[in-house]
Amino acid sequence: MNLDFQQFIPSLPYILKGIGVTLQIVSMAGILGFVLGIILSFFKISKFKFLGWIADAYTSVFRGTPLVLQLMLIYYGSPQLIGYKIDPSTAAVLSFGLNSAAYISEIIRAGILAVDKGQSEAAMALGVPYRPAMMDIILPQAMKNILPALMNEFITLTKESAIVTVIGVTDVMRRAYIVGGEKFSYFEPILIAGLIYYMMVMVLTVLGKGIERRMRRSD
Amino acid sequence: MIKVENLHKHFGKLEVLKGISTNIQDGEVVAVIGPSGSGKSTFLRCINLLEMPTDGRIMINGQDITDKSTNIMKVRQNVGMVFQHFHLFPHKTALQNLTYAPMKVKGISKSEAEKIGLGLLEKVGLSAKAHEYPNRLSGGQKQRVAIARALAMQPEVMLFDEPTSALDPEMVKEVLDVMKNLAHTGMTMAIVTHEMGFAREVADRVLFLDGGVLVEDSSPEEFFSNPKSERAKDFLQKML
Repeated sequence: MNLDFQQFIPSLPYILKGIGVTLQIVSMAGILGFVLGIILSFFKISKFKFLGWIADAYTSVFRGTPLVLQLMLIYYGSPQLIGYKIDPSTAAVLSFGLNSAAYISEIIRAGILAVDKGQSEAAMALGVPYRPAMMDIILPQAMKNILPALMNEFITLTKESAIVTVIGVTDVMRRAYIVGGEKFSYFEPILIAGLIYYMMVMVLTVLGKGIERRMRRSD
Repeated sequence: MIKVENLHKHFGKLEVLKGISTNIQDGEVVAVIGPSGSGKSTFLRCINLLEMPTDGRIMINGQDITDKSTNIMKVRQNVGMVFQHFHLFPHKTALQNLTYAPMKVKGISKSEAEKIGLGLLEKVGLSAKAHEYPNRLSGGQKQRVAIARALAMQPEVMLFDEPTSALDPEMVKEVLDVMKNLAHTGMTMAIVTHEMGFAREVADRVLFLDGGVLVEDSSPEEFFSNPKSERAKDFLQKML
């Protein structure tokens, strides 16, 4: 195997700049997915069957089709849907956010249902209305239990974000590919990209462990 | 005063309460006893509407709480409840467990809530544990915090649903002592319990339920020494 990393050193800053692009897309999509996921999970446990039906249909569609297809639908479909072409990174944030909301809503729903029923009864017996009981008593306990699953989802999101390459967003993956094209050698830059993704995931993992430790304070 | 009239509760086809009528006077301590499955917990849970009665009326201080227009949250603020399994909020310290509802529901300030909370923790003998999380407390301590939490809302009535059934034997007394002290302050209390000695000593009245029917409603002396019904006799024989 002859690997020549030497020739890629000048291109390294260019590839590394992709981290910012990737992080921006992932963090915004993560926030969108999380907020929408919470709302959908409330729909799913709502006593109004109609809301549950909507959320289930949503999850079914976004889980039942490929992410790359959703990305392309939103990007290439936008002129016909809303009349103008949105820029690629907006399309990426939207599709990743909408997609992970489907998964996150399932995670949170399960987390809420796993909290002992006695907790909401105790809150009710104290005269605490549904909404604050949910926000202050049930959700914090649910979050603690689902944190590993949630972290998993964000890690998946970080890695899967590499598919924005197909609509031309210059993230880490795309940049590695471009550099490879310039030098007619793809192996090394893609190895470098792999290392970068791995490092990002490691940072997320450590971050997740830290939050988990903080939340386990009451144990 | 709590007035229960012809209270019925169905769970699907199962009829758990079959028309219960009784009164609980202000300051009265009522022990609700009976075999398991007799409906005593359901009866208690109807009084703060954790269970919605299927039929019948419950009046608290003249207000019909089963009426559709009644604000259930307001009713519950006035009726404290203590559960068999404590149900303390595990992510809050003992003191935070006490201050949460008064601050959230009644809107009183943090300092005021903490003052009330610390006072109550002292009353149940747990001042030293104010800043501990529930997981660091023993069962008896948890239940005493749970009693203090209910009291922090300054309710007029306290409901106890088998408060000592989940405790190790050596912790039963500390909880019963707290309840005894509370009874002496003139709190109106309804207690579902299997502690016959406690019922006999502390209760002003005993309600004996069996199969969803109020079989006996009498003074503890009468009930324990001279039960009228066969079912009560049978039950007491097994218990004592």
